[in-house]
Amino acid sequence: MDIDILARGLVAGSLYALVAVSFNILYRPTNVFNFAQGELVMLGAMIFASLATVLGWPWYAALIITLVGVGLLTLLIDVVAVAPVLARSQHGTGWVITTLAASLIIANGVNRIWGPDPIVVRPPAPLTTDTFSLAGMTVSAYQIFLVLLTIILVLAIEQVYRTRQGKAVLAVAEDREAALLRGVNPLRLSRWSFFLGGAFAGLTGVLAAPVLYASTGLGPALLLKGFAAAAVGSIGNNRGALIAGYLIGVTEALGAALLSPGYQEAVVFLLVLCVLLVWPHGLFGRPFARTV
Amino acid sequence: MAASVAKSRSLPGLLVQAALVVIVLALPLALDPYGYPLFVATQLGVYVIAAIGLNLLAGYAGQVSLGHGAFIAIGAYATALLTVDHGWSFWLAALAGVVLSALMGVLMALPSFRLSTWYFAFITLAFAQVFEKMIVEWRGLTKGFAGVVGVQPPSVFGHVLEPAGVYWLVAIIAIIGFWLVNNIVHSRFGRGFVAVRDAPAAAQAAGASPARLKLLAFVIAACFAGVAGAFFAVQKTVVTPDDFTAEFSIFFLLTVVLGGLGTRWGPVVGALVFFLVPELLTGLESWRMMVYGAALLALMLFAPHGLVGAARSLFDRLRPKQAAQPAETVPPEAAHEAAHVERPAISGLSLEVKDLRKSFGGVVALGGVDLSVAPGTCAAIVGPNGSGKTTLLNVVGAYYRRDAGAVLLGGRETKGLSPQQIAGEGLGRTFQTPRLLGELTVLDNVLLGAYRRERASLAGTMLRLPGAMLEAAQLRAEAMELLAFVGVADRAHDLASETPHGHQRLVEIARALMGGARLIMLDEPAAGLSLTELDRLEQLIRRILALGATVVIVEHHLDLVASIASHVTVLDRGAVLASGSPQAVFADAAVMAAYMGERALNDPPAGDLCHPRPAEAEGA
Amino acid sequence: MTMVPEAGHTGELLLSVENVDVGYGHVGVLEGVSLSVRRGSIAALVGRNGAGKSTLLRAISGLLTPSRGQIVFNGRVISRDKPHVIVAGGLLHVAEGRRLFRSQSVDDNLELGVYGLKLDAAAWRRRLARVFELFPVLEEKRNLPAGALSGGQQQMLAIGQAMMREPVLLMLDEPSLGLSPLLVDQVFAAIMALQQAGTTILLVEQLVERALEIASEAWVLQNGRMIASGPAAQIAASDELRAAYMAAH
Repeated sequence: MDIDILARGLVAGSLYALVAVSFNILYRPTNVFNFAQGELVMLGAMIFASLATVLGWPWYAALIITLVGVGLLTLLIDVVAVAPVLARSQHGTGWVITTLAASLIIANGVNRIWGPDPIVVRPPAPLTTDTFSLAGMTVSAYQIFLVLLTIILVLAIEQVYRTRQGKAVLAVAEDREAALLRGVNPLRLSRWSFFLGGAFAGLTGVLAAPVLYASTGLGPALLLKGFAAAAVGSIGNNRGALIAGYLIGVTEALGAALLSPGYQEAVVFLLVLCVLLVWPHGLFGRPFARTV
Repeated sequence: MAASVAKSRSLPGLLVQAALVVIVLALPLALDPYGYPLFVATQLGVYVIAAIGLNLLAGYAGQVSLGHGAFIAIGAYATALLTVDHGWSFWLAALAGVVLSALMGVLMALPSFRLSTWYFAFITLAFAQVFEKMIVEWRGLTKGFAGVVGVQPPSVFGHVLEPAGVYWLVAIIAIIGFWLVNNIVHSRFGRGFVAVRDAPAAAQAAGASPARLKLLAFVIAACFAGVAGAFFAVQKTVVTPDDFTAEFSIFFLLTVVLGGLGTRWGPVVGALVFFLVPELLTGLESWRMMVYGAALLALMLFAPHGLVGAARSLFDRLRPKQAAQPAETVPPEAAHEAAHVERPAISGLSLEVKDLRKSFGGVVALGGVDLSVAPGTCAAIVGPNGSGKTTLLNVVGAYYRRDAGAVLLGGRETKGLSPQQIAGEGLGRTFQTPRLLGELTVLDNVLLGAYRRERASLAGTMLRLPGAMLEAAQLRAEAMELLAFVGVADRAHDLASETPHGHQRLVEIARALMGGARLIMLDEPAAGLSLTELDRLEQLIRRILALGATVVIVEHHLDLVASIASHVTVLDRGAVLASGSPQAVFADAAVMAAYMGERALNDPPAGDLCHPRPAEAEGA
Repeated sequence: MTMVPEAGHTGELLLSVENVDVGYGHVGVLEGVSLSVRRGSIAALVGRNGAGKSTLLRAISGLLTPSRGQIVFNGRVISRDKPHVIVAGGLLHVAEGRRLFRSQSVDDNLELGVYGLKLDAAAWRRRLARVFELFPVLEEKRNLPAGALSGGQQQMLAIGQAMMREPVLLMLDEPSLGLSPLLVDQVFAAIMALQQAGTTILLVEQLVERALEIASEAWVLQNGRMIASGPAAQIAASDELRAAYMAAH
């Protein structure tokens, strides 16, 4: 077995985990799955690519603009597409259509602005995408950086939920009404979560760009694999998303190696489907099982 | 939203529909037979056929599927490959396509049994993406990117059809399809679909299996899409993978949403607007997706029930306001009449519960409960909040699986049976919060109860065969009778969502009786009732008992319990605290301490707690 | 049927519910209900299950909006305020069923009790000490998830959570539910201690007698209508109370 598969799988899996985490951040206070998430990641990649590669800005400036920009756009999605639907009915499902609509608008808009050609993005020195040999695997410094950074980010996000605001978000997710009675304003928390989740999606796009190329077609695949990682890892559970991300990434790499690359999607799909059929709430169960 | 499932039997309505049919069929006479407009019209017809199926699946049955394009693709590819490569006739090839599509429908339905709606939606989206790739991968079968070229139009009696002929074929199929689905929607299947979507527990209580209904919806939708796919292939003459991208599936759903999910005309209007409008705005081709997205966003924000729903709201607002509904309580005349409605006798079932246990996580809800109810009697279960009363009902009805213990209904163990199977054995129930189908009428809600009893097949229902129609009429009459029996006959044609709370409870009881229930479980039926309604409820329960049915009632209202129950079981924190006749139980000190506070201990004897007959003096 | 919205004593009205109608969608639950609570007192709201007591509390705390009438708290009309605004104003509602955040620790739950308040470390410690003084078992189990506590301990935590905020008016919905008699004693002792320290209390209770023992005024709700009110002792002996628990014709 080619151990490179493992490396490739971990790298791709890290990206899927990051998308899953950004999903979770939005999901927690709202119980909404944002169908536009994939496009937001892609947008992050495109904005960064344009600023850093095309316009030649320093990477930190490009990064900040990207994070804030995508964060604000996601906030806009909350204000325009999600909050009005939830205001009508807490258990309404119109947000599926509205976030789907948002994804169409963003995808089309991005395509018009940037066109279909991918932009190459080089990571800042000393990280490179040049490969070298490590423990029998062919890896690049950037890939190692990506895998490590993902773990750090997942842990960092966990810390966010240890702050008072973070705990308030968890409270809203567990029992919205009880949270209301304790003085929590779920609307404000939703807004912050959307901004944060959006910025995180943008960050994911920036991190993905050197590996996947910044192109406008990234969205749909990332949406689904990110969702898969979130669902398999039990939605709301970020460590679970990390592990599930690795699982999916490695399976995908195996599928491409053992069968043809065209089949890798099918293999991942079947894996995810089987897991969810056996464990409908993901591998790590429901975090808050309310007693009847 | 006005009654979406109610039939419009009005003469103007029928005339308009007839006129539409005439216009649709006469269209080719007005257009250039080889021109583009006719081609577009035929294409529209194809989309309408598929949309009707998806509307049934996603609108009525609530299964949001983002992978519908796959069914169309199967129909198209099957038709194309079989006619072009293997020389089959169009008709056989199309049939094969429909069958294959239906099989795929079965496969797609399976995950829907287990997954929640939104996980399922994502899975179908993922499936659409995978399917898109698989068409290309299996190039041995599908010819990959190049696609299948040279699909011929169908022949009828040896004559190859002209474009006008194809149009007529498609139009007639669309019209027939519309009619068939309409018949399904107004039958027990339609009610079952709405129940699966809006109140699955009520579906089960009525003896309907949500899984089977979902399966049925998927298969029907897949068949329609398969037919559409066959004609899709004929229209395009070339079938390539590009035609069936994931976006195509999303657009299909958006079409149905645009028109109005779960409305009769939604798929037609949606297909018309979604499809025709871009054709008219060819200059804005590259903005199309953005326009779709923006339109959908606007729609969901301002007109969530689609164009048809918006039109209906507008229409309702323009109509003169109806006179304000009278007071919420049921008029006394109805009660008086209800007392005189004759119903056939019911052979009541017994219920035995032995050492029943159920825990949730670490919390013990039922810790070994025993209960014994003789047939034809009224047994009450009382106890403070959280004592396990509703859990007991839910375990008996199999909505929760028991951890241990025995439940015998009419002497037969019910272990392993599903809620709908137990309903079929004669168990009926009402819910603490009424689970009615808000968008259907009161009468339709009662008819849902007869789901298991109705024998008409799908074919009979779809085609309105005499046998099916006769049975439906009989059941309708019986439902009206039951509504009179419970005292809400005057509200039969009102929407369930617009009926006052007190009536909703009575409708639920009528639904249970409609199912032929021989033992009815009532979960806190007195909650939220006014004094008059309470009285009516008591009279109704007495009449049900008089017919011979067994009644098990969970209640807080001790007065009602004392009046109608012959046996009372007191639960406290999952265990039986006391059990016996109301007089004995209410005199038990421990019971009263648990339930009412110490005052009752020091107070007048049990005789006061049982509601005296009106002639007697009131308690001190 | 006596309909008395006035309080029996003089004293500043802290909460005044004036002729409200409250419902869920088409279902009306409360009709023309009035209630008032004097500052510094314990008021009891009684009535059988389904009478609408919880609904009334939910309307006061902002989870529901009355379709008619108004609610005035501490001089301000709060009928249309959002729940978090009402909480910030010092009106707290401890809902029935021990609505805690079970996946979070006891400490976290207490911390959430003061969400939105800026407390310095000293103030935080002081308030926490008060809660632990009243409910020592909570201090023992500080770091356990709230879901691991017994029913009684959870009820204490729910009250403690509200206490952390030092509310002006505290509404308790059936705090004795599912508790053993010993724990009920503890809870009621805590309620009285809170009142003596200056908190006004509106108590909804199934244990009618216990509630009427510690309350100064009582309000009787039946079928969505207030059918009696007055000094607790008077209500305790009244016919209306019997009627509320056993619907007489």
